[in-house]
This record gives sequence, structure tokens and C-alpha cells, in this order.
Amino acid sequence: MASLLRQVAKAIRNPQIYNQVGANIGRGFSTGTVRLEKVETRPTVRKYNPLLKTQLTEFGQYVAECLPKYIQKVQIAAGDELELLIAPEGVLPVMQFLKDHHNAQFASLADVTALDVPSRQYRFEVVYNLLSLRYQARVRVKTYTDELTPIESIFDVYRAANWYEREVWDMYGVFFANHPDLRRILTDYGFQGHPLRKDFPLSGYVEVRYDDEQKRVVVEPLELAQEFRKFDLSAPWEQFPNFRKSHKTEEVPIDKK
Amino acid sequence: MSGAIKKTTGLTGLVVSKAPHHSLGILYDKIMRTLQKMPESAAYRKHTEQLICERAQVLSSTTDINQVEQTIGCGQVEELIVQAENELILARKMLNWKPWEPLCQAAPAGQWDWPPTVSEK
Repeated sequence: MASLLRQVAKAIRNPQIYNQVGANIGRGFSTGTVRLEKVETRPTVRKYNPLLKTQLTEFGQYVAECLPKYIQKVQIAAGDELELLIAPEGVLPVMQFLKDHHNAQFASLADVTALDVPSRQYRFEVVYNLLSLRYQARVRVKTYTDELTPIESIFDVYRAANWYEREVWDMYGVFFANHPDLRRILTDYGFQGHPLRKDFPLSGYVEVRYDDEQKRVVVEPLELAQEFRKFDLSAPWEQFPNFRKSHKTEEVPIDKK
Repeated sequence: MSGAIKKTTGLTGLVVSKAPHHSLGILYDKIMRTLQKMPESAAYRKHTEQLICERAQVLSSTTDINQVEQTIGCGQVEELIVQAENELILARKMLNWKPWEPLCQAAPAGQWDWPPTVSEK
């Protein structure tokens, strides 16, 4: 450390070395300006792959041709993500087809999740993400249901679906028929309600605290210090307009019988 | 690799097949028989028949397993057997499901719109 400082001090004292350093910096900057002049045509992180997109489009059409009974719509989202939108009756056949067919081989279930859109007739969308290790491809299968209609469990096809479906049941209250062990998985024992539904309040319904007199944890109905007040924090403009423009969801044309 | 004994597939849980040529041939036969119970116009039947025919031809053209693997180009012969077993299970289930029928239920209006549109109900 001390020797380093000594060298720096020597450099400052010696004007010749000082100039050399300055000259080096000057050269560095000049090359820097040359590099800056290069214009970037597609300043995106995600690379556009037209070949992949054609492959996925063709595969989507192939699946729709093979299973016309269940496939309602095929689309390419975010540039290169294939989505199969299916009727809820077809969950098991479509999953079995995607897993076991020679040309698909989506042997790995990456995720099962859901989303809640209360304005729709069937408010819950259930989403399955699949991965084919053989063909290095991913596909997303979406279907829909409401609070009362059970959806067929895919546990018989993918063992991995066991906990994913429990999670969806816990968070949204989507009922999976023929699931071997449909219990809550994330929330506490005795929890009421499904927290990721849009009508579930942010603060929940009950609060839990330790009671010193009773010497135990008590659960009480929630009392807020302030009446409900609506905070409208959304900006009047759209936050990420460029994102929406660049990745439009495109529908893939399929033959309707 | 003439006559060298294959010791492992290198894949966990997948044991070396003792008579791969024979068992693969039987599986392809079974798949073809199952497919023939489906209607002629079914796209699933057409595509799968074509694919299985191609593979069965490659299989019958030679007894050299390495050449079969290279021509088909979809993994080792043990993997090919697993794929054929899966396809057989699928084809048998398809006979019950009948996926070649027309669309069973159309999506309600606005179901697949994003961002969601407000429905008039």
C-alpha cells in the first residue's frame, strides 16, 4: 500500500511521466468516441428469432389440427412464446398429448398458476407452462374456470402438478377434481379465504397477536384505525408503452371444423 | 461398434435394453393397430401413422441398432422405446377421448382478450 502511494507521488513530482499518463487517457477517449458512433439498430435485450417463431407457429397449428375438439385459439405472445388456449374439458387430453406424442415430448411441467379477472364470465384463468427437453421448446397452455366448476387435475399425467395445484387451490380457490391431496399449502392452519383473489382485501380479515393475559396467540377480527380510503396512485399515462407496442400477441390461424 | 456390448445408457433409471430391435418392432405394431381403430380422417391418426411408418421402415431396413439410432435421430434406442410406449398409451386413451371431433365448447366472448374487456352481463 505504502509503495503504491510512493509511486503515485513520484509520478506527480515527475512531469514527464505525468504527461505520458495524460497522453494515454487522451488516446483512450478518442477510441471511445469511435465506439459511440456505432448506431444500434435493435436496442433490445431479447433477441428476435424468426426461425423459432415459425417453428412454434407451425407446431401450434399441428396441435390444433390434431386436437380440434379442445383447442379454441393458438397465439404467439411476447414475440416467441406459444400459447394454446383450450376448453376446460380438454385439460387432460391436451396435457397427455403434449407429454406423450412423438413430435411434442413436453415431459417437464415447469409451472401451474392462475390469474383472476373478476369481470369475465369464467373469472379464473389456469396456466400451465411446459418444457420439452428433447426439442428445446416451451409451450403455455391456458384454460378457464369459475369458483364452482371443478377442473380436472393433471396429477395423473405430471406428478409435479401435485403441489402446484395445491398452491392454485390455496391462492385462488380453483377446485381440482381427482387430485389426491387437495389441501392448503402456503397459508396457515385454519386460514379463511383465498388471498390472491381480487376481492380479498389487502389487509386480510383477521389479525394475530400474542395475548399476555391468556399466555397464547389470539386471532381477532381486523380493526383498522382509519376508515377505508381509496388511494388512487396510478399515473394518468401508461407506464411502459414501448413494451406494449413491441410485443403484440399475434393469433395463429387454425382451421375450424 | 460391431458386437461391442453396451454397458449403460448414461441416463439415470434407463437400463440397457436386451432385445431393442424386437421390442421396438412390437411396440410400433401395437401403435399401428390402435391407430387403425380411429377414423381415417383424424389428423392425429394421419400424422402419427406417417411418423410410425417412417420409423418402422428404418427399423426393418437394418438390424444394426447404431444405424437405426442415427437415421431416426431422436436419441438412443432405449429412449425410442420409451417414446413408443408413451405414444401407445396416448393412442389408447385417444380412442376414448375422440379429439378429432369438432370443438366441444367455444370460449365465452372476451375470455381471451388481454387487457381484459368489460363484459356486458
